[in-house]
This record gives sequence, structure tokens and C-alpha cells, in this order.
Amino acid sequence: MRLWVEIIASGLITGGIYALVAMGLNLQYGLMRILNVSHGEFLMLGAYLVYWAHLVTHLSPFLFLPPLLVAMFFVGLGIHRVCFRRLAETTPEVEAFEARSLLVGFGLMFVVQNVALLVWGADLRGYEYLSRTVSVAGVGFTANRLVAFAGAILLGLALIVVLRATLLGRAVRAMMQSPTGALLVGIDVRRLHPAVFGVGLALAGAAGALLSMVFEISPSMGEPYTVTALIVIALGGFGSVTGSLLGGLLLGIVEALGMHLTSPSLKMVLSYGVFMLVLITRPNGLFVR
Amino acid sequence: MPRSALAALAGAAVVAAALPWLLDDFLVSLALSCLMYVALATSWAMFSGATRYVSLGTSAFFGLGAYVSAWTVAATPWPIVILGGALLAAAFAGLAGLAILHLRGTYFAVLTFGLSELTRHVVTYGEKQYAGTVGRVLRAVPSNRTVYFTVLAIAVSAVLVAVAVRRSRFGLALIGIGADEQRAQTLGVPTRWVKVAGFALSAAFAGAAGAAMAVRWTYIDPTAVFNPLIGLQTVLIAIVGGPLSLTGPLLAALVFSLLAEFLRLQFPYAYLIALGLLLIVAVLYLPYGLAGLWRHRTAGRAAAAR
Repeated sequence: MRLWVEIIASGLITGGIYALVAMGLNLQYGLMRILNVSHGEFLMLGAYLVYWAHLVTHLSPFLFLPPLLVAMFFVGLGIHRVCFRRLAETTPEVEAFEARSLLVGFGLMFVVQNVALLVWGADLRGYEYLSRTVSVAGVGFTANRLVAFAGAILLGLALIVVLRATLLGRAVRAMMQSPTGALLVGIDVRRLHPAVFGVGLALAGAAGALLSMVFEISPSMGEPYTVTALIVIALGGFGSVTGSLLGGLLLGIVEALGMHLTSPSLKMVLSYGVFMLVLITRPNGLFVR
Repeated sequence: MPRSALAALAGAAVVAAALPWLLDDFLVSLALSCLMYVALATSWAMFSGATRYVSLGTSAFFGLGAYVSAWTVAATPWPIVILGGALLAAAFAGLAGLAILHLRGTYFAVLTFGLSELTRHVVTYGEKQYAGTVGRVLRAVPSNRTVYFTVLAIAVSAVLVAVAVRRSRFGLALIGIGADEQRAQTLGVPTRWVKVAGFALSAAFAGAAGAAMAVRWTYIDPTAVFNPLIGLQTVLIAIVGGPLSLTGPLLAALVFSLLAEFLRLQFPYAYLIALGLLLIVAVLYLPYGLAGLWRHRTAGRAAAAR
């Protein structure tokens, strides 16, 4: 019994980060049809920025989360301006736009990842933060994992509250449901699209910052998270942010259980298998009725 | 396809066939990788360019071909090895196509990417379980010259098949699917079978190329032959060259293999950065590729003459 609680709890903790990564990506895809496969690279960027800031100042990495969110938001604005604005203007047809923006995402992935390799080298890096063990309900966790989980869930819930309760959130949801309708009631795409792209990158950066508190970081750390985020989005449904939160937690548990029951070397086979199966049989996600 | 372009292609093939006697080993191996990309990009464009189903699964077919070669080359005649690679890749693409070709756009692209990663992990796991190793050393391989002419033959047949497909009803059906799938279906095109057949046909060339190139590398492992970069480079060449043209990808493959050869060894990171930037620029500013540039110019001249 104790063992299963431990497995599920550690699955949930990983799942919290998965959820945060996937929510940002899904927000971008749901609103703009940009499936940004370089998402994980910005997670890596966030991790490195916080690592570097912590190394220089020795302050708690949590303090750097707000400035990081702002910085990544502006990076997102810039990337949207340079890459995707022109693409959206020249390619009005949705399907062609999706395919092309996917390729632009692959281009960005190459650029960001290799610039990072060039600047920081391929070594693993890390810092110690809250690495003592805390006992919760008889199960031991390192404190930094709990903190990272709490941070991920809080940011995820905050995003859902913003989408549900504010005018901005309503505009975003209206845009997702019916782009034409949203335009007709006066929602300004030219401001909304870059802003939401920025929010997506900010969330990716935050996820990276939280990860850097727990694991060692490297320039190639982002790619697996991109893949995981794609799987989570497929589970929760393309465009559904709440679905991503649930899907992320679910995938964390499934992975933890799957690795416990089979072998760790099958992890990627399991992940990709689940991913393909869900996309083929339920392309709109598990939670759609 | 105008007669002059066909003549130019035939001339290029003759020059390529003479290269092993004219150049040193380094330049011949450069020509070899160029021919490989010609085969991959031309066969990719045959299906994905026409139907606009962007496939990122070339690495899966290439890798399967390479593994067929690794498993059989010691005990099997060379042409059978190549044919085996082509057939396995085509069969795999056909089966996968039946399952995933009802999904368009991003779904299809992401699924084909997942497909090649899944294949890589399954092969890695299988080799670990049943062969006890992950990589394989290829012994008793054919001579470099044989490999060169094999890849040349694959590239030439990819181009010839692409030309033949374009002129056939089958090719028209593929283009019809790309333009408006529902309309094509309404007009009586059996879209599902056309898509599956096209996907399998294009995979066959990637499989054959993989089988031929594997012996050139002498040591292969899943990370190398299922590298997603192979699929992405193929897409990049076809898009930079122009997904709807035949000569565009040829030119792009030439430029690209030169770039790869000279940058990759000295500056691997810079090479990949350049690759990424090139991909972004090509997608943003050259929707019809290099071929679009000169088509645009000749169209402009025609308009001026009128």
C-alpha cells in the first residue's frame, strides 16, 4: 500500500511539471494553430537563466520566477513578431499555416538548442536547493520536488482562473471557439496573438525554472519535454487547457506505474505508444464526450 | 515537364555516373551524400509535395532500410538487400498509412514524427533483447563504387518515377487530394488508396537509400539511422528547392550537401543553427522554394512580353 502511494505521488509530482509545459503549448496551439515544437527549448532557456541568476546572487531561485515570467513573455513577443506574424499574414489558409508554422518551430528548435550548446557547452549543471527530505503522511519526499510541484500547480490554476474569470481570458476563449465571431465582436487579434504566444513561452520558462530546482540541466533537456507535452495535449485534447492539466497529471501517474510494472528502458516505447494510440483512436482527446 | 529540363536531368545523371573516375574519394563521397538527398527529397516531394500531407517519417523508412541491410547483407545478394529495404519500408508505410492517413495537417506531421521515434525505440529495445547489442558492425560489404552506383540508380529511378507519376492519373489524383480532398473524393478518386499507395511508394525509395547507405557507414545504431534530422533535412531540401518542382530539390540537395560537408565537421553547432535559420527563412519567404524564384521570373517576363 505504502509503495503504491509513493509511486502515485511521485507520478503526480512529475505530472505537475508536464501539465505546466503542456498548458503553455496548448494555449498557443488552441488560439493560433501554432504547434510550437521548440517549446521545450524555452523551458531549457528558463532553467539556464534561473541557474545563472542563482549562481551569481545566491538568492532563492523562487525570487527569480516573476522576472523570468516577464522576460520570457517579451522573448515570446519578439519571436511572434519575427516568425509567426508574417506567416499568418501570407498564409491565410489554416491547414497550410499549421504545416508551415510546425516547420518554423523545428527551425527555432535547432537554432535555440545549438546556440545554447555553443554558449554553455553540453555539460550537466545544477545547484543545491531545499534538498532535505520532508515526510508527508508517512511518505518521504525531497522538499524541492514538493515546492516545484506546488509552483507548477499554482501557475496552472492561475492560468485557468485567468481564462475563466477575466475579460482577457474570455477574449482568448472566444477566439478559440470562433475566430470569425471573435473578430466581429471587436477582439483585436494583432494584440491578442502575440500576447498569448508570450504567455505560452513564459509558462515554459517557469516550468524550466522549477525543474532546475530538482534536476540537473543541460541544453538538450528541452526536447523530451516537448515530446511529453505533445503526448499530454493529445491526451487532454488539442486546444483544451484544462484537459492539459488533467492529462499532464494522468501521464505522470501512467508513466510512474508503467515503469514500475515493466522496465525503465521501455519508458519511451510506452510514451510514444500511448501517444500514437490516443491520436489514432481519439484525436480529440480522452476527455471529450 | 519541358523537354529541355528532361535533357538537363539526363545530362546530370551521365555526369554523376562519370564522377568516380574523375574525382578523388572525398569529392565522390560528397557526391554520394548529394545523391542520397536527391533520392530522399524527390521521393518525399512526390507524395508530400503533391498531397500536402507533410511527413516527418522519412527517418523511420530510412532506418528500417538500414537495418534490413545490417541484418542481411552478409548472406544475401546485394540487389536483394536493396529491394528488401525498399519493400519493408513500403510495407511499413502502407500499414502505418492505413492507420494515420485519415488525419491531416499538424496531426499527420506530428504522428509521422512520433512514428519514427516509436520505431527507433522499438528497434533499440528489440536489438537489446534479442541480439544483445544496440549497434551493429557491417562486415563483407560491397565496394564503395558499387554503393555509389546503387545510390545513383536509386536517385535516378526516384526522379524518373516522380516524372512518370506526374504524368499519370495517379499523380493527378495526388495533386487533386492536395488541392481539395473532399472535391477529389466527390469526383470519384479513391482517396484512401491513392494516399496509402503514394505514401508507400515514397517510403520505398527512402528504405532503399537507407539500405544502400548503411554499408557505407559500416557501423550503425538506431540513434544514427533513425535520427529525426534525416527526416527534417529531407523536408528542408524539398521545401527550399520547391515542393512542387523536380529540378528545385535537385539543386537544393547539391547546395545542402556542400553546406553539410564543409560546416558539419568543423562547426557542428553552427551547422545546425544555419540549418534552422535556413528552414525558417525558406518557410517564411520562399513558399514555392528556389523553383518559385525562377518560375516567378519567367512568369514576369511572359507578362512583360504580353
